[in-house]
Amino acid sequence: MLQLLKGGKTDRLLLLVALSAIVFSWFVIQAQISAGPAMAEIYHGQILLATYPLPQAGEPEQRFQVDGELGETVVVLDKQGARITSSPCSTQHCVLSGAHRHAGDIIACVPNHILISIRGKSASGYDAIVE
Amino acid sequence: MPAMMIPRPPLAELEGKAQWLALLLLAIGLHMFEAALPSLGPWFKPGLANLVTLLVLVMMGPRAAVAVAIGRVLVGSFFIGTLFTPTFVISMAGGLTAAVMMIAAWRFIPGISLIGISLLGALAHMLAQFVTVESLFIQQGVLYYALPPLLLLSCISGWINGALASYISARLTHEL
Repeated sequence: MLQLLKGGKTDRLLLLVALSAIVFSWFVIQAQISAGPAMAEIYHGQILLATYPLPQAGEPEQRFQVDGELGETVVVLDKQGARITSSPCSTQHCVLSGAHRHAGDIIACVPNHILISIRGKSASGYDAIVE
Repeated sequence: MPAMMIPRPPLAELEGKAQWLALLLLAIGLHMFEAALPSLGPWFKPGLANLVTLLVLVMMGPRAAVAVAIGRVLVGSFFIGTLFTPTFVISMAGGLTAAVMMIAAWRFIPGISLIGISLLGALAHMLAQFVTVESLFIQQGVLYYALPPLLLLSCISGWINGALASYISARLTHEL
């Protein structure tokens, strides 16, 4: 079995190409989104609803009700990051995925067309940026 | 006058159909098992159901493989309760794209083994899921920011599943 894990020359070449492309794109993406304060962007379908800074330790948590295709999704921002605490979808994958606060993390509730994307790293000075 | 008999297909044909059906049932079972796994998140699954598609491809050809990919998502989603929901659409897009990619790799890449085919299938599956979500449900490019780590996991699962498929297909054809 372990012998089988080695793969052939073509397989190893394909793996090398795939890994190089993945690592390169990872670096490019991180360089783009890691700068600036840690923010949570909340989307519904094509619309960016709001961008909020993630609370630091000691700051109060923030709670939002976001209307989606199926109903209301509740988004909570606290020192642990952004998370969905309640969703009208049947699968509840979005609620179960927990809190996220690293640049590039996403929380998606596909049935309700809600997306939360995290970008940035350092402490924030904004209260909110709403569009 | 002899009683009218319904002509029976040859035994080899029946055996092939029974084998295909057994593998389809296995794929449906694995599809449901993977859907019940809680800790791996909504985007990533080990790809065991795709492993069956790969086995069917090398044992019975492209048509049977595509039929298994469609059949297991249809029947599996029916039992999970996600039939015709966004989850179903994403699963179908991923499963079909992976099947088509594995057929193309099997046909056109010289020297590739089941491991390489499985690797490309796993990557195609993950990419297809994101493209489907981005085009049909949440039209935001930021979705793709989450792709690289998930593609990395796909590389690992695709490689291991390919090795498993090599082992299983060799056992099934009595080569080991």
